[in-house]
Amino acid sequence: MKKEKVLIANRGEIAIRIMKACNELGLDYVVVYTKEDRASGHVKKALKERGSQAVYRISSYKDPNEIFSVADHSGATAIHPGYGFFSEDFRFARRAALRNRPITFIGPRWEVIRDLGSKINTKRIAKSLGIPVIPGSDEPIYSEIEAETLAEELFLKQKEQGIDKPSILVKASAGGGGMGIEEVNHLDVFRQVYRRIQNYAKRQFGDEGVLIEQCMRDYHHLEVQLLCSQHKEVVHFGTRNCTIQSTGRQKRVEVAPGFDPSIWEYPFDARKVLDDMVKYSIRLAEKVEYDNVGTWEWIVTRDGKPYLLEVNTRIQVENEISACISRISRQRGPVNLIKEQIRSALGEKLNFSQRHVSFEGTSIELRIVAEDVKRGFAPWCGTITRFEFPDEPWVRVYTHVPQDEPYEIPTEYDPNLALVIVWGKDTQEAKERAKDFISETIIDGKDSRGNGIITNLSYLYEKVDEVLRF
Amino acid sequence: MEQKSILDSGKYLVTLQDRVSYLADIKGGFEWGNLKELFERVQELRTNLFEYSERELLQQIYSLEGRIEFAERQVAKRLRPIEIVNIVRSVQRFTLLDILENCYDSFTELGGDGEFNIDPAVIAARATITRRVKNRLYYHQVMVIGHEKGMGEEFRNGGCAKPWGNEKALRYMKVAETEGIPIHFYIFTPGAYPIEDYPGAAQQIARNLFEMAKLRVPMISFISEGGSGGAEAIGLADMRLMASRGYYSVISPEGAAAIEGRIKEGGKVPRKLVEHCAEQLKMTAKDNLELGTIDRIVEEPPLGAKRSDFKFFKRLRYEMVRATDEVVLKTKSFRAFRAYALRRQSQDKEKVFNDEFDIHIKWTLSESEKDRLLEIRSKKYRAMGKGFKVLKRPFSKRLTRFWESTRHKYYDIRYGLLRKQSKNLQKILEEVSSEGSVIFKTVTESMRAAYDFVFPAPQKPAQTSQQDPLRRSIFMQDWEQYISPLANEDRTVTCPNAEKYGCKDLWVPDLYGEYSGVCPTCGHHFPLEYQWYLENLFDKGSVREFNTQIVSDNPLGFKGFDEKLKKAIERTRRGSAIITFDAEVLGIKLVVAMLYSDFRSGTVGSAEGEKFIRACDRARTTRRPFLAYIHTTGGIRIHEGTLGVIQMPRCTLAVREYIDSGGLYIVVYDNNSYAGPVASFLGCSPYQVGIRSSRIGFAGPRVIRETTGTDVPPDYHKARNALKRGHIQGIWDRREFRKNLFEALMTMGGPNLYYK
Repeated sequence: MKKEKVLIANRGEIAIRIMKACNELGLDYVVVYTKEDRASGHVKKALKERGSQAVYRISSYKDPNEIFSVADHSGATAIHPGYGFFSEDFRFARRAALRNRPITFIGPRWEVIRDLGSKINTKRIAKSLGIPVIPGSDEPIYSEIEAETLAEELFLKQKEQGIDKPSILVKASAGGGGMGIEEVNHLDVFRQVYRRIQNYAKRQFGDEGVLIEQCMRDYHHLEVQLLCSQHKEVVHFGTRNCTIQSTGRQKRVEVAPGFDPSIWEYPFDARKVLDDMVKYSIRLAEKVEYDNVGTWEWIVTRDGKPYLLEVNTRIQVENEISACISRISRQRGPVNLIKEQIRSALGEKLNFSQRHVSFEGTSIELRIVAEDVKRGFAPWCGTITRFEFPDEPWVRVYTHVPQDEPYEIPTEYDPNLALVIVWGKDTQEAKERAKDFISETIIDGKDSRGNGIITNLSYLYEKVDEVLRF
Repeated sequence: MEQKSILDSGKYLVTLQDRVSYLADIKGGFEWGNLKELFERVQELRTNLFEYSERELLQQIYSLEGRIEFAERQVAKRLRPIEIVNIVRSVQRFTLLDILENCYDSFTELGGDGEFNIDPAVIAARATITRRVKNRLYYHQVMVIGHEKGMGEEFRNGGCAKPWGNEKALRYMKVAETEGIPIHFYIFTPGAYPIEDYPGAAQQIARNLFEMAKLRVPMISFISEGGSGGAEAIGLADMRLMASRGYYSVISPEGAAAIEGRIKEGGKVPRKLVEHCAEQLKMTAKDNLELGTIDRIVEEPPLGAKRSDFKFFKRLRYEMVRATDEVVLKTKSFRAFRAYALRRQSQDKEKVFNDEFDIHIKWTLSESEKDRLLEIRSKKYRAMGKGFKVLKRPFSKRLTRFWESTRHKYYDIRYGLLRKQSKNLQKILEEVSSEGSVIFKTVTESMRAAYDFVFPAPQKPAQTSQQDPLRRSIFMQDWEQYISPLANEDRTVTCPNAEKYGCKDLWVPDLYGEYSGVCPTCGHHFPLEYQWYLENLFDKGSVREFNTQIVSDNPLGFKGFDEKLKKAIERTRRGSAIITFDAEVLGIKLVVAMLYSDFRSGTVGSAEGEKFIRACDRARTTRRPFLAYIHTTGGIRIHEGTLGVIQMPRCTLAVREYIDSGGLYIVVYDNNSYAGPVASFLGCSPYQVGIRSSRIGFAGPRVIRETTGTDVPPDYHKARNALKRGHIQGIWDRREFRKNLFEALMTMGGPNLYYK
């Protein structure tokens, strides 16, 4: 096998994790960074391990032309997009595959990224496979009459179900990330909202298609972690619960597994719900011949019904909590999903199957962010002067913030400081360990006016108590 | 002569000097023959007038006059086309005001007094023209509209009408229509003034043509200087006369030479090439009569009529009255017209010109005569400008004709007669059903069933159809079906707006594939080949071309054009710059005419005009919407001369008839659309749309610079500015072309479309 060289087209902690995975697999790598990130941990690590020829400065992480130039210049044979940036950009993956000098895109095939990258398309395929999806349109609506009929139907259905305050969501079909979404509480205002969203969609995305969905309240946000190979192997790594999110729908605390009936009582059969979600997720993966890591996002309502939301065709930040509770019988030590992802993308077989996978304990991920939770999670900017955290065998910390020198948070990017992954033999222990970790962590810093740093540590401490509780 | 005093001689010498400089005008300078010597001689006599004895002087003048006359005969013996152009441009040539003074008995200028005029280059006047019948005088009221070159009057702008000048012309045409008096047009223009300010050079000419096509009064035009589009603005007449020393051309010989010689801006155009082009363009009266683009020549003196040529004015008056008579008589009965024409003919043969008429003919028309006037006009223009080739087809002509007429009847019955019936029946059914009576229900239901059997529901494409490709996943895009060959390259291009909007460099396969050649950041449209539209705009497999047997030719025998034409045919594997076809958009059948750039820059000649008209007529008989998609047009093909120019009124007439019949005519401009076609059959559409980043205008920036002497900003012709000026009705994104077209088809147009 030829020697592969991976271009890591990302920054921060995920870049570091990918570097580690490459090292463990014995692969060469190059990293890129922007001017603002020159002091970042991933650059330092790369310089230390591979020297200056493995480090390229670029003007933006988002310009594909630059990334491909670096790939060609450095002789990289594969690109790992991490998460964000190009990770779910099927055009980028397509270009990597179709250019004169093809480069392996570490992720699913571009066709899969394209087809599952659209929520509507995913919803339609899911529906055809008998997988439950949120009631509403499964293709963009362009006609007002059609939209109104559907809206009326959705309100009626909710009434029949005895839902107290029925409401629906009107979304721009080409949108995403919470943009172009409005809630409608009464049928009378529907037309107005529909027109507004339609205009917005046309202006913003050049496509005036609109989606209409029942608005779900009182639900938990769960995920199913899958790993597939190019040889039609499909393995799942259990479920995660990511219900604790900031107001901007950014995840803050994640737990694996998705529910724990031994510590909380659920108004439904939690075991069965989790099993169903996994079963459905695998059904869809097999249908589209999924061939890399991926996350199937679900919501579960109080009445114990799971609904497929979307598929994230990339490695996720919180992948490691699933890895942490998974054991592969023939392998020693915990699973490393990033390593498995790279191997799978390079065309290797998994060399284990579902019956070799077992689960042990509970894992919690905490995202330490410099933000003011009380002021709508507003990001904090400044310089970190001190960053200390306990070193325990049950915790893993990923951070690009150096511990030995002051670090100025670049204003261009989210002020994520660290990812903390705690493991315990059961949920109770994991929760206690997480709280212990938070209490012993010290972060000092100052902004330009000399005020002290604001982090979400106390918020995380509070929230840990509530995890997995419906 | 002998009686002349020395003072008279002085005056006479001035006229001699004028005659010599007139010859110099014609010959393009004093270099020809002994002109220089003659001129100096006259000059010398004038300065030393009193040095000579009277006898000596007279002798000198006498011999000089003889020599000048000899020179004049020499020049007149073989007038080359470029010399005719020079005659027309000479300051000594008659102008419209001379005609108004001399051919008409009285006139009142409307909307202008010299400089005080919205556009002094265009004159409109109410005038009285007289006819002598057996020594009795009869008066006719007419509207005179024409260009005033105003020799020496700078403000007249050399007879180049500004857009608002042509608008004024149109206004007074309508006055004449209201009052029911004939219009006499006098064309003295080197071309329209190429500015886009509202109402726009091209758009206004198009509007004029559109109105003239069905103006309900007799119109006679007289051409002295017919400069292409500018001439057409007041040229669509029932009878077209031309001065024997006038020219009527698609482009000035200099302009043609610059194009033919590929002369760079500011470069000098060789005189030889200009003369060559003047010859090739077939711009003289004789040529035009042979080409059939004019009806009759009004004889001038051998070297052309000058400002005080009273004999010529007399002749012109006679010809104008006679032409008006003929147009009027044709609407009455053919027999009356023939009798009249025969009589005149025998009279014309007489050596002595007689301007007396035998009878008095009233120029007012009844409504039915007006209808007939329009009918004759339509027939006349449809028969003109047929300089194309027809390739032989395996099945006979007669069969085709039979099929055409059958089809006409079929559609008449299907959508005319039956539909009217069906609409009535539907109305009754609705009224009955709405009673909601149980008793009626059984009755109406069986009736409804019978009705549905007789008139199956029209296949109206439903808005919510599941198969509807527009409503399908945004991922099932057209680029999966047809990919532009431009996309087969692994490289990136920079968007021209990158600096302004920060667009990233675009990977070519993405750009020409999925992005449809549109920059996703700023929306800049990169040009795409016309095949892309054939594949992506219409329903798969619905495009059926017709009239491919009509191919471009070289009707003027323009030197060197045969090779160029051959090359274009070989390169494109098509016979003309227009593709006409039947197609469907989401199930709606329509007729399309597409001008494309690969074939001689999408220029319009006889074949293109004919195919356009036939497509237009096809849309009319089949009651389908008609789309003109202009991938690019560079204007009228200069190599076909006035046969090309005449396509402007011809096609506009067809369009007018189509629109009046209750159809839907949509024009979509892409890339570059300029000149003649925009100023006629395209610009007259009520629905004109520009694709983003396209350019629409009358003349390109170079011509504007060269004719007006001022530069224009680089985005002068951009669709957005055309929209701002009110020339187009909207701008479409290429990616939404199909969708917008479908919506337009569903919502716009007259009542006579088959699916309405």
